[in-house]
Amino acid sequence: MNLYDMIVKKIKDIQGVDEDPVTNLSTTSMLTAEITLIASVLVALVMLRHLNNILMIVAVLVVLVVFLTSMPIMGRLRKEQNDSLSSMMFYIIIALTIVITLFYWGNLNV
Amino acid sequence: MNLLIPLMVIVPILCALFLNLLHKKDRAIKAVTIILALALPALPLLANYGFHYFGGYEPLLQNPTLSSNLPSFITGGVLSTFHPAITYSFQSAQQLFVFILGLVGLLALFTSVYETRRPSGVYAYMLFMGIAAMTAILLTDDIFNLYVFFEIAALATVGIVLVSNIKGNYETALKYMILGSVAAPLLLLGIALLLGVTGNVNITDIIYSLKTGMVDPQNPVLLMACGLIVFGWLYGSGLPPFHTIKSAIYSKALPSGSAMIQAFSVFTFIALGIVILRIFSFLPLSQWVILGVSLLAMILGITMAIVQTDIKRMIGFLAVGELGYIGIGLGLGTAFGITAGLFQAVNEVMITALLFIGFGVVLYQTGISDTRKLGGLMVRNPGVALLVLLGGFAMAGVPPLNAFQSKLMLIQASIDAGFPELGVIMILLSIVTFMTFMKAFHTVYLRPKPADLEIKTETIPKATVISLVVLLVVCIIFGLFPQYVTSYLQPLATSLAGGVA
Repeated sequence: MNLYDMIVKKIKDIQGVDEDPVTNLSTTSMLTAEITLIASVLVALVMLRHLNNILMIVAVLVVLVVFLTSMPIMGRLRKEQNDSLSSMMFYIIIALTIVITLFYWGNLNV
Repeated sequence: MNLLIPLMVIVPILCALFLNLLHKKDRAIKAVTIILALALPALPLLANYGFHYFGGYEPLLQNPTLSSNLPSFITGGVLSTFHPAITYSFQSAQQLFVFILGLVGLLALFTSVYETRRPSGVYAYMLFMGIAAMTAILLTDDIFNLYVFFEIAALATVGIVLVSNIKGNYETALKYMILGSVAAPLLLLGIALLLGVTGNVNITDIIYSLKTGMVDPQNPVLLMACGLIVFGWLYGSGLPPFHTIKSAIYSKALPSGSAMIQAFSVFTFIALGIVILRIFSFLPLSQWVILGVSLLAMILGITMAIVQTDIKRMIGFLAVGELGYIGIGLGLGTAFGITAGLFQAVNEVMITALLFIGFGVVLYQTGISDTRKLGGLMVRNPGVALLVLLGGFAMAGVPPLNAFQSKLMLIQASIDAGFPELGVIMILLSIVTFMTFMKAFHTVYLRPKPADLEIKTETIPKATVISLVVLLVVCIIFGLFPQYVTSYLQPLATSLAGGVA
């Protein structure tokens, strides 16, 4: 089995049988999204150098390892970002918690 | 006092009410809508810069007649500088924003009345009410007044989707309302906390209270208020985690409605973003949060766009991604960065409207927005295909179109501010935007037509083509003469950067 077939198989596994058929176009789109996501997050993490160089190196290495071990991420991410009200509500509550924590404790204790 | 300033809000409200009364009188709606819509871009061009104090209650400092009859402890103190009435501020940046909103509104209304067989008075009502609300959000210096119109804009958005008669529109509109019923009250709570701490809802007065030490800037209630207002900002503009519902909303509206809803999102983004920068710029974290959320919106929006198979959903996610560029400009906090961000906002409103209306032609002729079922449309309408192609180039930042100039400015601003990484990410995501658009363009226009695809024989309404041409011409002009546009934005950007510094 070559690399491309492995990728298609993995996408099929994540999408499940009920979803749309996996075509060449959808596979290449998924691959592009995957590479873009990983590259963007890693480059964004380099900005941590403004806080601490060692923190930046550790963060980049940890996230790189996490990404490499859990690929393909985009399939899961797409599945997660669906139109279900309960999943949207879940992420909204998470976001509210993060924002309030950042502003309240972040400004008082940093 | 300049009476044209409040008229920019009042006229669209009156137009909305009048058109609603004409419901089911098709010909009258068509004619009246076009005539009334012409006022939208005209009013900001005719109005002079200045302030409007509702009820005529200007600050005592500016009204010697009234202050001469008052005791000195009022006229001599800080009370004399406060704004007792709702204040609208109309400067060069607001003029440009309201003009662009009016232009997109005019073209959306123009397109809608000719694309639908029976023009709906209710649909026109929703568009006009949304435009009125958004104009007020851009002009007001009163944060509670901003919230009221923020809610009206959200209701108009839901109304546009409900009236659009697209499969699944009711469910999506209901979800948007439910999520709004969580986020909007939290925004109101943030405003209430701000009022509780500062005793004021006028933004200029709140800033004065903070800068003069009347209020402790590290007051925990104030920090909580900032967090809640930021959360409301995420909801209003469709930033993560609200990007999924926002892109769904875009895909469940008629093309003209989607064009308007994305304009509402962009202008809400910059209006509330400016409020956050003005009031909370003393918190270094506020800029970091704006940068972080914008980065997330860019990455999630654009990576999600490429894996979509529905064209409207794809443009919806791209629109969310493009919001991130604007936020990067605001988050950098420099005058050049903020100018670039605001310029990008103006460009995005026009380009996304062009793409929604352009791809709307596909929907008009086939009734399908799923790219897997489309193809071969280049033969049917090469002219529209060319206009859409140029719109896609503009969104990706291909020179000499307008977004090239704003994205280039943003990259320069990020390097100047010491964040070259942001420049790298913006370039990378622009390339992916280009690829996403070309993928959609190929599947819709260039590949062979599927055998089972039925295309209506009706010709495309001239109104649609005219709207596309006008939007493209403005994109080209803004791309060739960016300094003309940025000169309108620089005064606001400089004042905001002064506050940040």
